Amino acid sequence: MADPLAIAAATVRDRIGDRAGGWDLAGVLPLPLLRELGAAGVLCAQLPEAFGGLGLSSLQNGELTAATGRLCSSVRSVQTSQGMAAWTVQRFGLPEQQRAWLPDLASGRLAAVGFSETGAGSDLAAMATTVRRSGDELVVDGHKRWMTAARYADLLVVFGRYEDGAAAVLVPADAPGVHVEPVADPMGCRAAGHADVRLDGVRLPAGRLLGGSALPLPLLVTTALAYGRMSVAWGCVGILRACLEAASRHAATREQFGQPIGRHQLVAGHLADLLVAEQVATRVCEHASRCWDAGSAEQVIATVLAKQVASEQAARAAATAVQVLASAGARDGGVAARAYRDAKLMEIIEGSSELCRLLLADHALAVAPRGEEG
Amino acid sequence: MTAAANTNPGPLGPTDDETVQKELLRFLESRTRTSWLPDTDLFGDGGQSSLFAMELVVHLEKSFGISIRGANLRLENFRTVTVMTAMVRRLQQAAGAQHG
Repeated sequence: MADPLAIAAATVRDRIGDRAGGWDLAGVLPLPLLRELGAAGVLCAQLPEAFGGLGLSSLQNGELTAATGRLCSSVRSVQTSQGMAAWTVQRFGLPEQQRAWLPDLASGRLAAVGFSETGAGSDLAAMATTVRRSGDELVVDGHKRWMTAARYADLLVVFGRYEDGAAAVLVPADAPGVHVEPVADPMGCRAAGHADVRLDGVRLPAGRLLGGSALPLPLLVTTALAYGRMSVAWGCVGILRACLEAASRHAATREQFGQPIGRHQLVAGHLADLLVAEQVATRVCEHASRCWDAGSAEQVIATVLAKQVASEQAARAAATAVQVLASAGARDGGVAARAYRDAKLMEIIEGSSELCRLLLADHALAVAPRGEEG
Repeated sequence: MTAAANTNPGPLGPTDDETVQKELLRFLESRTRTSWLPDTDLFGDGGQSSLFAMELVVHLEKSFGISIRGANLRLENFRTVTVMTAMVRRLQQAAGAQHG
């Protein structure tokens, strides 16, 4: 039997091809492409087969995500959103909600997830979106910012305050009171369909509240984001691979002073740095994915670590790649120029570098040996 | 997959209250480098974070072969070793009853 990861990766490679530069310049992805990728299950490939998914392990899904990110960070961002939506429904949904929504998410229905608001970025406790009960219905009010893939989504997974805690609700993008306003000219992942989403008194059946009851906001958000962080981290591995390949190919063929520029020591140093960055990010992502696949509690902190390391390595490496490619990499839409803009956003999305470092520091303090030294 | 694999109760289950409690205290001590009493409030007096709450969810599911969903994810169910033990036993018994 054929390897499901190999098939999924071939689908991604075949559908994206060499078109990412054009999508970046146009600032939009073709909707039929996303529907096709969704129907092939590659946008949420970690979803178990029992729910209609491909059932890839975290490690396999990571390699698929890197393969996607290597070609196009905008498609990879849509993949992150879809995967995080499916993970949220799988993790928090009641069995009937899982049955009702998950097979659709693995067969072409597109989804986006909304956390951030104007006053609630890193400080998600300041979230102002509300979900309240009104008879047999739910009413949702709020304004989400920079929802990745919301421009393409059929279904919006919206986080808000509910009763004495919080909840995630499933909102059809065409429900009355939902207004999706695409963000004009995002700096990176330009075709990922970022949008601001206003929800004005949106009424939903009570069954759209995942899990059916209020949960603590930090637990809800931390759990949903964990998938997004793994996906972003692996997406950064893809960016790193694209940068390493483009810079090495150029340095091997472009000649100055009578030899390939890769033979000049200062340029060679850049190539070594790119290889180190790609390997460091890959290994830290592999470790986190193995923790997920083993069901180990260490997955929680390993995920934050992977996101932090991979995004910083990618941002630095993309700048290095532009430097090596020089004028050959300076045109917008090209591999290095896209990587440079896309990777920078990865240091901000799904928990900024600053926030991730605070979480890592909390962890260091929590596991510090107690008592006297020695 | 065999029927036995389908009803796999996890490495430590089905088990009794004392085993669950001991395993939880062991996990907490190894993770926080502090020893805990069964009734210490981990998130109040203990000062533990939401990342730690997620670690507990993952650890309980893996160690005791349970699935924690819906209202069971409320923080009250993770506040102390005693209440976590009660939840684990309740979910194990419910799963056992379902599988026969």
